[in-house]
Formats: sequence, structure tokens, C-alpha cells
Amino acid sequence: MYIGIDVGGTYTDGVLIDGSKVIKSVKIETENNLSISVQQVLAKLLLNQENKNISRVVLSTTLITNMLAGIKKPPVGMLLLPGPGTNPRSQNFCSDYILLKGAVDYRGRIIEEIDFGEVDNAVKYFLDKSITSLVVACKFSQRNPFLENRIEHYIKERYPQVDVAPSNRTSGLLNWIRRANGTAFTLFVKNEYDKFMQRFEETIAEHEINCPVYILKADGGTLPLEIARQYPLESIFSGPAASTFGALATTQQDITGIMLDIGGTTTDIGLILNGIPLMAERGIYVNGYLVPVRALALSSLALGGDSAITHKNGQLGIAPRKGKACYLGGDSLTFTDILVYLEKSKLSSHPKIELALKEISKNIGRTAENIAEEILNQFIARIDEKIEEMFLRWEEEPAYRIFQIISGQETRPQTIICLGGPAQSIGSILAQKRNWRIIVPQHAEIANAIGAALAKTTLKMDVLIDTEQGRYSTNLPGLSGALSSRLLTLDEAKTFALEMFKGKCAEWKLVTADKELEDIEIIYEEGFNIVRNWQTNGKIFQIGLQIKPGLVNLLNEGTDAIE
Amino acid sequence: MQLNKTGLIFFPAFDWSISPTHPEREERLLYTRDQIFEEGIPDSSYIREYKPRLAAKEDIRRVHFCVPDVEDQTTEAHLISAGSALKLGDALMKNEIANGFVMARPPGHHAMRVVHGNRGFCNTNNEAILVEYLRRKYGLKRIAIVDTDVHHGDGTQDIFYHDPDVLCISLHQDGRTIFPGTGFVHETGGPGAYLKNINIPLPPGTGDKGFLRVWREIIKPVLTKFDPQLIINSAGQDNHFTDPLASMRVSAQAYGKLTEELQPDIAVLEGGYAIETALPYVNLAILLAMAKQDYSKVIEPQFEPAAVKQDEGITLYIDDLIRYWQDALSEDVPSKEDLFGEGKVYQRKKSIYYDTDGIRENQQETVQYCPECPGLYQVSSTARDQVGRGTSIWGLSIPLFVCDRCLEKGYKMWEQAIKEGKEQKTFAYYYLQDKKNDNYLKE
Ligand SMILES: [Zn+2]
Ligand SMILES: [Zn+2]
Repeated sequence: MYIGIDVGGTYTDGVLIDGSKVIKSVKIETENNLSISVQQVLAKLLLNQENKNISRVVLSTTLITNMLAGIKKPPVGMLLLPGPGTNPRSQNFCSDYILLKGAVDYRGRIIEEIDFGEVDNAVKYFLDKSITSLVVACKFSQRNPFLENRIEHYIKERYPQVDVAPSNRTSGLLNWIRRANGTAFTLFVKNEYDKFMQRFEETIAEHEINCPVYILKADGGTLPLEIARQYPLESIFSGPAASTFGALATTQQDITGIMLDIGGTTTDIGLILNGIPLMAERGIYVNGYLVPVRALALSSLALGGDSAITHKNGQLGIAPRKGKACYLGGDSLTFTDILVYLEKSKLSSHPKIELALKEISKNIGRTAENIAEEILNQFIARIDEKIEEMFLRWEEEPAYRIFQIISGQETRPQTIICLGGPAQSIGSILAQKRNWRIIVPQHAEIANAIGAALAKTTLKMDVLIDTEQGRYSTNLPGLSGALSSRLLTLDEAKTFALEMFKGKCAEWKLVTADKELEDIEIIYEEGFNIVRNWQTNGKIFQIGLQIKPGLVNLLNEGTDAIE
Repeated sequence: MQLNKTGLIFFPAFDWSISPTHPEREERLLYTRDQIFEEGIPDSSYIREYKPRLAAKEDIRRVHFCVPDVEDQTTEAHLISAGSALKLGDALMKNEIANGFVMARPPGHHAMRVVHGNRGFCNTNNEAILVEYLRRKYGLKRIAIVDTDVHHGDGTQDIFYHDPDVLCISLHQDGRTIFPGTGFVHETGGPGAYLKNINIPLPPGTGDKGFLRVWREIIKPVLTKFDPQLIINSAGQDNHFTDPLASMRVSAQAYGKLTEELQPDIAVLEGGYAIETALPYVNLAILLAMAKQDYSKVIEPQFEPAAVKQDEGITLYIDDLIRYWQDALSEDVPSKEDLFGEGKVYQRKKSIYYDTDGIRENQQETVQYCPECPGLYQVSSTARDQVGRGTSIWGLSIPLFVCDRCLEKGYKMWEQAIKEGKEQKTFAYYYLQDKKNDNYLKE
């Protein structure tokens, strides 16, 4: 049996799946202490459960999002080695920084040496400000980490009180700003994240669960808990990824459509193309800063079932939640109340809804019905806007190879998969309003937990091999080095890359059976001659490999409520 | 929508080359990719990255007579390279961006109106395709093309030689010392477009100083006087002091400076074959200058002041060149009628060599004088490959701003030409290029 838990901002959902059937599901309000929410959900799922043969637990959590909420500038210092190029002063780094000498070029050649006197001054500058966490980021450090690592060792030896991290071990992505920011955020969250993981391991142990435990990543893949602990940032925004994979699991594995997940305070919109969610390959924004975390491409709307209805100068609007909803006996008229009033929801009504509507009606001189209809239309218009944004993003995804442009002409899908609490209501409204295919799967309200339970482990690796320099580098943290053998052909390079990929899969315990290794695919392969003075001086190979994101299993229950 | 953004299409065509060791090969933009990605350029708030698209065959026919047809002279890479220019042209005209840089390959500025094969690594002319597309779709008229590639932009010159509304300016290494061997000061445009083609042949060894002086003292005043609605920069980067095919001494800083002052609406990457030592830096400097960002730190690791210093003799030569152009441009322009002369017909014989494909083309051009419009253009052309196999074609081009009389006359000529062709088989193919009605025929 599989367990999936998704700790969201408003609710924590859990699900117990046997093969391809949902045995039990739980939905509770999320506590301030997320560990308690996890404990509660796990306890409820396993209560009176005789068969405790659990083979897989996957956790998706909003912990990192919560920790970083409101953090404008993590208390971390940056030592930056920019070398030639853009002016770093005009770049968007998330922390204070000092610029240092030392530079590496795109081939990994050192073109300027470090000045250790500058390093000392920089460390002292930050220590004077009581900053003891430091990032070292050098342009092209994934092509050659020597300078970053050299500075790391220098600081560790002389300043044992400093916690220093080089950017090449956060990510090998070709983007030093993202690597620097990602490393700074990682330094900031890692201790608390680690404590949370410790508690989670204990909770699992208390329930005598003895199976692999995974953490869901932002790209919908999973990492074993002990590996995930080292890369806390990877788990950010895993909630929408859980929902997207839930949409896949509860419909069909090769579906094409828009994923619409309406939560309490946010609505997420994603795109699934032939069973593959659209990715933000270069990463995402965290608090307005770019980080190198590969994630699903999502459009988010700060509106949900709990959003409050407002009116100002006769204008109606929808704003973030204020208090308890009217249908629950509270005083805050919410979007869900509107759905209840219009009889679009199965929730039972409450006299407070009509009272609140009458109040607005009196103020702006329009009928309650009229007000409710407009709110509904506003909500749908905002969703439409985000869907359009998603389509544009898909259509304008940059492409660097001919085949991508030749094959890239596809039509926009006209299918929406509705998930979340109000999915049923919104689904039926959308179905009436347009000719699209609307799917509201069974378990739509806990699809996120299903997605977490069933998400496969995945890995994507971009390898660059430079035979003239005798070096290889990858997008993965810390994975670069000297070539031990001379690779002459693309086939030899592919074999080398594949072996390295399998090695990483084994190290990170991503594959448990040899059969899964068959799922590895090569997504691109290129060999370039390095020609100098009309002579070939070696080769550069670029090879991309991946285990595709996907599901370990599909639900085989009847799915669609509305089609 | 942010109006101050610079549009970027980066299309390295990692899966296209002329041959494995040819300078125009897959690796050409590899290190540029590394530099601009590592710098986080596509993420920057001042950049808007676009996805390339394919140009349509009509877009090519609006400019070229491709022999025998467009699909024989273009690969998908050519259509994408041209399409990328059109995509940014559209974005500019729709006010989505303030300007744009088409960093795509293959290049195009050596491709002429008649295309029998590949010359100077080019088959189709991306800038010319962009000009005709923008004039057709958005009703623009006066456009200037400033070619800063080290090689003479002979293709662009050929295409617009008789067009008074397109100002072509090319600065380049003197044609006596480098491919394609043309681009001299006396090539000033046809009688109907006199002084709408300006060549600035620079001596080998010209450095940053000379490069920027001819811009400021020749090109800038010409541009100001012409007052174009749009400026396109053929942004070749082979004037760089490390370029293996040329002998100039220009740095990334000077390219940045020129771009900053020129303020092109669209820059289109042309040549530049120092793919490691120049391209990552020059491309970055141009892009930053277009986006009005600080490019002062884009300094090549090989840079030293001596690398861009020009000899005194060169400075003196450039002084003379500037004086020559300042004088020529201040003289009174003779009337169009006088320039056409007695016969009221302009005729020119030309021999063109296609270096990549080893083809020799002989052509004869005829332009008819018309007081109302640029006049009808005819070309007959025979191309032979190294073993003497040849193809002859005839083409008629009706200009975009044609007068009614010439338009009517053009169609009569076309009817007659194909009638004669059917009887006498003088030419293998006949082409009609009616830019006014966007009508392109082949017989
Ligand atoms: Zn050139
Ligand atoms: Zn006329």
C-alpha cells in the first residue's frame, strides 16, 4: 500500500492507496506546527487499519514556502567572483555581497586568480555584521569548481565559526545568479528543514513503517528522504506538483489538458501535454528572486474558496480571506458562500449568507442574485486570464534546436481537469459556459495526496563533455570533474553519460529495480568539433538524459463526474 | 507589457552546419550560449525572449529569385533564421519590445536577389526579408540598414541597389584584401537610388578609434539626413581583433559603444568566426547596449590596449576617407533623369562568384527610367558550376512603390516573356516578383 500526504497552506490531505484503489482519505486543517499535522494525518490514515503493509510513503510539504514567507533578504553573505560580463551590481542577488577577483571562463579555464587578502576582508566584513553563513559563487563554477572550492576550504580552515557553501554544490545549472540565490536560501532553511525531517522520520518509526520514504519535489519527482534533506529547496512548491500528478492519476496517463486546482486561498493552473506536465526548466522565483529549482510551469491566482467578497465605491471584488465563512456560521462572505447561494455547491446553506448579501445589496443597490452572478463571473474571468497566460508561456517556450520548431506547432487543448474543494461546482459552471471538455475526477478534493502517493522518482541530467579541456560537467549539484578516458565518438560519450546517470540513480536510491533503468531516455545528443586553425582539436558533447516524470500506478476507479 | 524591453531570439541551430570544419558550424554560438545563459540574460527584467518561427516561402520570394525554387535554396535552418527576424519585427511593430536582437544562424548578408547557391555562408538575406515583410505588413517606407560586419554586405547592396527608400550603409575591411572583393566608395546605388548605398572600406588594422570615427563622422550624419522610420543593424562581429578570417582590431567595448549610439531597432547577427574569443563577449556587449545596460565590464580575457591600437598611417588614411565622404555627401545630387542618361535605361553586367558552392554567375540587369516610381527591374542570369553545367533564368521585379503605368507595363512584359520563353526556350525559368500586389510567379 502507498501513503501520500500533502501539507498545504490551508489543509493537510492524506490518502492510503491499495494497488490502484483509494482505501482511505483524510482532510484536516493545517496546524501552525506542520509536524503535528503530519502526525495527525498519518494516525488517522492508519487508525483501525489491519493491513499495515506499507510499501511507499511520499510527503509533500509547504514548510519551505512557510519558512521563506516574508523573508526579503536571508541573513546570508555572498562572495561573488563575476569575471568579465554583466555588471553584478545590476543583478538581482537576494543577499548582501562582496565582489572578489578570480574568474573562470565557459570552457572551465581559470582566467584570473583569487586574491586571498580580499577573501579575508570579505569574511571579516560579514562577521562584523554578525553574518556567519556565506555563499561562494563564481561564474562557470559548474565547468570548473576549483576557485569556489578553494575559497570554501580557505574559509573553513581559518574561520571555523562560518558556515560556507559553494554554489556548484547547490546546482550545476548554467545561471550563476540562480545558483547564488539558491545556495543562500538553502543555507537559510537547512537547519530547520533538517529538524522537521528528523521529526518526520521519528513519526514514521512510531508507526512501525519500514519502507522507502520519499519527499516530493517541485517538478513532481520524488527523492528519498535522506537525499532530500541535503536539498531543501527542491521541495518548495511541491503542492501544485502533487495536484498535477493527482490529475494524471485520476484521469488517464496520457491526458492533455489544463489542470485547475482551486484551494482555500490560491488557485493553481498547470498544463499537461500527453501526460507530461509543462516544466519551468530553468527554475522558479522565490520571494522575487530566481532560484535553480526545476519545477512545473504554473500560473497561480491568489483566490480560492475562502477568498472574501468585497465592495468599494460600488465596485465588487474578491480579496484574500478575512474570517470564518458564512456557510460555517462566520461573518466573512466568501466565494464558497456565493457558490452555496447560487446552489452550485453541495454544501448546506446558512442564513448568514443571505444576510451578508443583503447588506451588500443595500449598499450598492443591486440584487443579491445579481451580485452573486457578478462575483462568479469575476472569478471565472480571472481563471481565463491565467489559462491564457499559461498557453502563451507554452507557445513561447524558447527553443534552440530545429526539430523543436518543426514539431512544435500544436493546437491549444480544450480540456480542463478540475480539482480541489469547489472543483465540482466550478466544473459544472465551466461546462455550462463553454464547449470544452470538463473533467471532475472522483477524489478531486484529495487528488493532491493521490498525486504525492503515486509520483515516480525522476531525474534529469544535462551533461557537457569537453575532450580538449578533459573535463565534464552537469546540471546536478557537485557533479563535475576531469575525464579519465579520452572520449572520441558520440557513442562513447553517450555510454559515459549513461553510466554516470546510472551511478547517480544508485547513489540517490532512485531506482529499486533494474527494470526501471529501462525508463532512462536520451533527450538530446550532440557532438561539436572544436576547430582551431582549420584543425579539429577535440570535441564537445552535449547529452541530456532523464527518467521521465510519471506515476508508479494509475487509479482504475471510475473517474469522471462531469464530462 | 513592458515597452522598455529588448527582444531576444537566440537560435544557435545546434543541429545545422555547412560542413563539420566549416566556420559556419554547430559550435559557432555554443560559447555565446554559455555566456548569456550563465549571466542569466534570458531571465533579466530587461530582456524578453521569443521562440523562433519559420518564415513562409512568400517571405523569401518577396526578396529573392531562388533557382529553381525556394525549397532548393533553403533548409529549415534558413527559414527559421529569417523567421526569427520576422518574429522580432512583429514584436517591435506591436510595441511589445523597444528593440530586438536576432541572434540566430545561418547568416544572410551575402545573399543577393538571384540565388543560385550559397555564397559567403549565406543563402537567403535575413535583413532584406525583414525589410520587405515590414514594409508589406506595416506600411513602413524608409528603412536604413547599417552593416557592421567586416565583410562587405554585398547581398544587401545588390537587393536594394535601385530602391531609393532603403538606405544601405556598409563599413568593412577594404575589398582588395578580403572576400567578397567589393564594397568600394563608387558603388553608390543605381540612378534611381543615388547615394542610397554608402560603402566605407577600411584598411586592415583599423582599431576601435577608426571604427567609431567613421560611424560618428560618416554614417551618423547620413542617417540623420535620411531620417529612417526604422534602423536595422547587420551585426557581424568579425571586425574583432581575434577574428581568424579578417585583419581588424575592434573590441567588444567598441561594438557596444557603436550599438549604444546607433540605437538600432533590430540587430541581426551576421558573421564573426572567433567563436570563443570574440562572440561570447561581443554578442553580450551588443545585447546589453541595446537594453541600455552597463556593458563596461564585458572585456575579453585577451584584451589589452595594444590589441586595438591602429597605426598612425591607418589613422591618416581614415581621415582622408572621412573627408572624401563628407565632400561627396555635401555635393548637389544630379537629377534622376540625368543620372539615367540618354537612353533612359540603366544596364549593368555583373559576374558573381559563389565561394561555398563553386558557382560562377553572369548576369545582366536592366532598370527602366520612370519619373513617377523606382522603375521596372529585369535580370537575366546564367550560373555554371565547376564542371560547366549551367542554368539560365530571367526575372522581373515590380517595386513596392510602383506607379500604375509601370505596373501595367510590367504584366505585359511578363506575358510576352513567358510567351517567347515557351517558343524559344531562352531561359530555363521565368520569375515575376510583384511586390506591390505580393504576387510571385514562376514559369
Ligand atoms: Zn563577415
Ligand atoms: Zn513608374
